[in-house]
Amino acid sequence: MLIDVVMPQLGESVVEGVVVKWLVEAGEWVAKDQPLLEISTDKVDAEIPSPSAGRVTQILVKPGETVPIQAVLLKIETDPVASPPAPEAAPKWDEETEGFPGHMARTSGPPIPAPPRVEPSASAPPPPPTTGRIRITPVVARMAAEQGLDLSKIPGTGIDGRVTRKDVEEYLASGQAASAAPAEVRSAATPAPAKVPAATPPKVARAPKVALAEGDQLVPWTPIRKKIAEHMVRSKQTSPHVHIFAEVDMHRVAGVRATSKKEGVNLTYLPFVIHAAAKALRETPIMNATVSGESTVLKKDIHIAVAVDTSSGLLVPVLRHADRMSLKEISAAMDDFGARAKSGKISPDELSGGTFSITNPGIKGNLFGTPIINQPQVGILRLGQIVKRAVVIDVDGEDSIVIRPMMYLGCAYDHRVIDGVAGNGFLYRVREILEAGDFS
Amino acid sequence: MLVTYIEAIRQAMDEELGRDRNVLLMGQDVGVLGGAFKASAGLQEKHGADRVVDMPISESLIVGAGVGLAVQGMRPILEMQFIDFISCGFDQIVNSAATLRYRHGGQTACPIVVRGPSGGGVHGGLYHSQNPEAWFCHVPGLKVVAPATAYDAKGLLKSAIRDDDPVIYFEHKFLYRRIKEEIPAEEYLVPIGKAALRKEGRDLTVITYGAPVHAVMKAARDMATEVDIEVIDLRTLLPIDWATVKASVRKTGKVLIVHEARLTGGIGGEVAARIAQDCFEELDGPVMRLAARDVHTPFAPAMEAYVLPNQEKITEAIRKLAAY
Repeated sequence: MLIDVVMPQLGESVVEGVVVKWLVEAGEWVAKDQPLLEISTDKVDAEIPSPSAGRVTQILVKPGETVPIQAVLLKIETDPVASPPAPEAAPKWDEETEGFPGHMARTSGPPIPAPPRVEPSASAPPPPPTTGRIRITPVVARMAAEQGLDLSKIPGTGIDGRVTRKDVEEYLASGQAASAAPAEVRSAATPAPAKVPAATPPKVARAPKVALAEGDQLVPWTPIRKKIAEHMVRSKQTSPHVHIFAEVDMHRVAGVRATSKKEGVNLTYLPFVIHAAAKALRETPIMNATVSGESTVLKKDIHIAVAVDTSSGLLVPVLRHADRMSLKEISAAMDDFGARAKSGKISPDELSGGTFSITNPGIKGNLFGTPIINQPQVGILRLGQIVKRAVVIDVDGEDSIVIRPMMYLGCAYDHRVIDGVAGNGFLYRVREILEAGDFS
Repeated sequence: MLVTYIEAIRQAMDEELGRDRNVLLMGQDVGVLGGAFKASAGLQEKHGADRVVDMPISESLIVGAGVGLAVQGMRPILEMQFIDFISCGFDQIVNSAATLRYRHGGQTACPIVVRGPSGGGVHGGLYHSQNPEAWFCHVPGLKVVAPATAYDAKGLLKSAIRDDDPVIYFEHKFLYRRIKEEIPAEEYLVPIGKAALRKEGRDLTVITYGAPVHAVMKAARDMATEVDIEVIDLRTLLPIDWATVKASVRKTGKVLIVHEARLTGGIGGEVAARIAQDCFEELDGPVMRLAARDVHTPFAPAMEAYVLPNQEKITEAIRKLAAY
């Protein structure tokens, strides 16, 4: 039999070796283990012994040559007498030892019972319906929100019809999105179609990333900041805001405050406005309302949400049944909210369910502002700065100039629901109540 | 100059021993024999037996002595004959070397390098094929590097020797003599903590390091008409170059992580988690991992091929992710 002698791998990292010297010649008879040649690798030098007795028939590599491992170096015609015995028969499979040699796996004692197969006790839930479900990836969700895309219009080429980023890119490039866009705008402009408008809030479109210049500070949004951002964008997208202003003479309110102060009760202007608003809302139900589908819900209860500025952001706790509260009760409730808002102890329940909102930017609130409606409400009041001004009033039929604490009261209403007569009537009524100074 | 990966390592040690008298090389058979793999061939002759020191078979002693020398101002390179045996020096590395700076409030440093041959694919069996890098990436105070090219092997080792903190340097024995690469004749360094973009692509990012870099590159080239693959070679595993990783994920939206170390508890899990958290809205498919099966590396070639990642498995994983 003719056998090959190959370049061995002398070490795990060695891939080649050099033939240094032949110790035998072609035609020579060799014994088993007789050195045939010397080789050298960059790890070790070694002699290659003959794997078998026989006659060298062919030497294939010259001294000095570098060959890869497993390359054939020479061929030997083996001595038929000395040739290796036939390989041993494979060991017989031993049922008892399961093929393991020796006694280690031999069983002793009773056989271990096979564990039973147990069917799940509850029937498996049915597979989720596949019809109508659009499979997307996170990046596609983001792109769809940013571009205002209807994903059902984009054919998906991914596994299970998944819409991939490439699909969206190709869809955008094809210009189909542009032709679909007017429909998107129309549907966004129509009154909220869902039964619960808050169920599908439009996401705040992510602003493109800007490069930071040296010294610029990147302040990531806190969860409350994100909520405010989302809420404000949603409100502006949902409600066509009309802003109106009333100039209110607060001198009677100031008088009541002064009297209370003498009695040891410190009242701010805010409880008076809340009180007046609650009264005016009772008389103008359309301002105390919310939108449901293509209907307006006139709310029975008057729950006024009042914006409170805290260190962690804007909070809007709700005064329930504000129309049933006295001025002092309103004041006490506001003080309580203010204190608890600062220590973060307002429960989520107290922040929901408002039917109308009032925002008071405080002493530095400036002349007037245009508030954003607190969805899903339809109206909001904003207190301006109270400043003393020379005003013309009627004194016994004569025009007179007097000094009065004056305040611009801003109001926003949702023109989807409220028309000018009702909106203006409401604000005018709040002014009347404040100027009349009757808060009993 | 054309060098092998192991020659690049030898050159790095030779140059640093020549540059700085405080640099030492200590390990089993590093001196007279020139290293079991010949990584330190000729270094004892050239730099002296007091600087290239043969040590007893005790990895704990080698690292412990190294830490003591480092405290005294030396910069010892500590060779593990096979990185598998680094576990014998584990306590000295994680409790002693890694904590030294912290324990002394930053007033002392531990400039040691622990290096040795890691990795399989050479039919070395379970004690000569391990990839234990993940154990060390869990330890603050350490730096962990794993070069895939001769250029990086040299540049990263020189940086590791000059670094004031303990660096665990995983060299891959499969690459020792299988790589022959042109490297600059003049001196250069490769910074620790910086990944290398090996190939730009638009469709999919493969993040890898060590020996699989070559299989991934081959797969990427062979599949060029099918999918446009970006390849990132991390090079440093602690700290990972997140900027490079995230920039690529933002571009391609699909990520496959390939490493030769086992899947469970491997570096890939950490990379995948970070990407899922920080790049969620950029992802266009699940972050996938391809690693060794969760078993010891077998000796038998067929079994070893079954356990370790290779080009065929990489290609299959890329196809799956690309189609997602």
